[in-house]
Amino acid sequence: MNEDKLLKQMVKRDPVRGAAATRRQVLQGIGAGALALGAGGALAGRARAADELTMLTWDGYVDPRVLDGFTDQYDTGIKYELHTSDPDSVNKLRAGETAIWDIINLNNPWAREMMWPEGLIVELDRARFEPYFEAMLPMFHPPYKWAMSLDNEHLLGVCQRVDTFDFVVNTDVISAEMAKDEGWDLFNNPDMAGRYGILAYDNWNIMHICMAAGLHPFKMKSDDEVATFEEAARRLINGAKMVSDDFVAVNLAVINDEIDMYFGGGTYSISAARLDGLTNLYHVVPRSGPADGKGGINWIELSSVVNNPDLHPKAFDWMEYILQPDTSYAVATAGGFLLPVGQMSQPELLAKFTAEELDSFQWDEFDYRISHSVEYDVVPDYNRLYDIYTAARREKS
Amino acid sequence: MVDRAEAPAPLIRQPGIGALLLSWLRSPGVLNATPVLIFFLIGFVGPLVIVLAFSFTPERTFDLGAGFTTENYEHIFTESYYISFIWSFALAGLTVLCNLMIGYPIAYGLSKLFGRWAAPVMLVLVIPLFVSENVRLFGWYLFLIKGGGILAGGLKTAFGIDTGTLLYEPGTILMGMIYVYLPFTLFPIVLGLSMVPRDQVEASRDLGASRFQIFREVELPIAMPGILIGALLTFVLAVGAISEAKLLGGQNTPVIAQDIQHEFTYAQNWPLGSAISVLAIVVTGFLVVLVMRRLDLDRLLGRR
Repeated sequence: MNEDKLLKQMVKRDPVRGAAATRRQVLQGIGAGALALGAGGALAGRARAADELTMLTWDGYVDPRVLDGFTDQYDTGIKYELHTSDPDSVNKLRAGETAIWDIINLNNPWAREMMWPEGLIVELDRARFEPYFEAMLPMFHPPYKWAMSLDNEHLLGVCQRVDTFDFVVNTDVISAEMAKDEGWDLFNNPDMAGRYGILAYDNWNIMHICMAAGLHPFKMKSDDEVATFEEAARRLINGAKMVSDDFVAVNLAVINDEIDMYFGGGTYSISAARLDGLTNLYHVVPRSGPADGKGGINWIELSSVVNNPDLHPKAFDWMEYILQPDTSYAVATAGGFLLPVGQMSQPELLAKFTAEELDSFQWDEFDYRISHSVEYDVVPDYNRLYDIYTAARREKS
Repeated sequence: MVDRAEAPAPLIRQPGIGALLLSWLRSPGVLNATPVLIFFLIGFVGPLVIVLAFSFTPERTFDLGAGFTTENYEHIFTESYYISFIWSFALAGLTVLCNLMIGYPIAYGLSKLFGRWAAPVMLVLVIPLFVSENVRLFGWYLFLIKGGGILAGGLKTAFGIDTGTLLYEPGTILMGMIYVYLPFTLFPIVLGLSMVPRDQVEASRDLGASRFQIFREVELPIAMPGILIGALLTFVLAVGAISEAKLLGGQNTPVIAQDIQHEFTYAQNWPLGSAISVLAIVVTGFLVVLVMRRLDLDRLLGRR
């Protein structure tokens, strides 16, 4: 039922869909004119060169080892842009940039629940790509939910980086075991006010506030539950000593004793620091929580092919290229971010990691983290909760 | 003899508005300005028109043809966005005031006193502009952070003094803004002060004016256009500042730019983000017009 509602909302949002009313046509005319004036030049300037593969991506795929390897194998250059957030890049495609990009790499729900229904991406050949899923960690065995369309018919992308994202403690101050037992209640404890920070990845903050408030983030909330969310959001935000969307700044605050832990964090935000020897930065997934008994959230990155009318002929080759063991290792260690990848079930790939690298992303307890987490999904009442969250941020006292 | 006064006036056909417009469009000035005008329309007016149009579309739509509504503006006025506006304008106003107080003596030195040292001093002030603002602010972050920070760590190691935290307060944001925007206030003031004729200062001194009278009645009025331009430039830039509040302020102090960024990214609410942008432009524009009315550009540029 909710999925139907969501689909209808998405269809309404389709910017390409024509309008019937005259007033709308006039407004569209004005808009088109303004776009031609304001954005036309910029878009023309951004049109890709014929021989370049273009990519909107998270940082895993812009490492020189990844880019140069593809250029060497396929004699094709790559032009890329890094995301500022998942929704930001989806908006770019919605705004007509499907004509610019060939590949998009996002967290798991976007392909299945937004981009495919909105016609922003194209499907992959199941016969060609599903064997790769069979060779991955057991959680990815085909048909893997997050790589498939809602009707389970179409393969929408390939998976690679995967982990959980919850909170981080300084184990010199708070033991990891105690943090796992206490879970989100650590942040609810009044004694911890002023001793923690918030890593402001807003969409994640909303899910985590739900967890701290004892609510399932991915289920529709009643009015009473929304009131509970608001109380928790204001309390947690007011209790934070600092908020930053830069994990380096938050890690520095932990290292320099400004704070003892931070809300919203994971191996993504600490692995580089841990590899540098700061193993007291520790990613915690609670032993229990309100989401079907779980307290953690598990994200999976999915690379998809954009529905570009002038799609680069090597776009599908890129999908195979990134799954090769050498490329997988480069993606897992790209740009100083060290993260698990779904291909780590392959001994050939696992052998490439040093013990320190594996420890940087707490590989020894990867199975624990995944088993104690629910998979990242669309928050059904996100807009309502987001308005409460931003109001709480503005009114932070 | 014919009385000239009574002679019938020759019939001269007055050109219509269309002909006048055509003739104006064909004038060399307009023809020469056309490329710049087109560039201006595409690069400056076009995006503003888009933002304005989006601000009147229903919330969370991505389609300019989705309909017309004033709900976004109603939402801004009924919710607590005024907090961000107050903080942004207050911080920008304080930045201007502080920079005027810091910048005026330095500008006076640069234009009147430093002589051959003026160029090296100017260089010292300009060089930081070659480095990204975020990098410079991160430097301040490392300097001020508790524990292992340069200031706190240094004081603790050398003297055993625990400074506690120096970050995440409005005062720290203001310090960052003063630091970042000082050159934008300073250089127009230097320009203004360099227009004060030495003869005029000496004449007023000969006529018995005190140092304060010379400052108030000679230097300040002549340098005023430069001071106003510096203040204006700083104010407009500071109203849109975001990095200082994010990095040094720990996002404990909300600013307008942050609200706009939230709406365009995580909230996916372009219409509301556009409406906040339009309001910020309108309020800033109103204040700028107020100042511009006091500003005589011809005089500043020495044309009269």
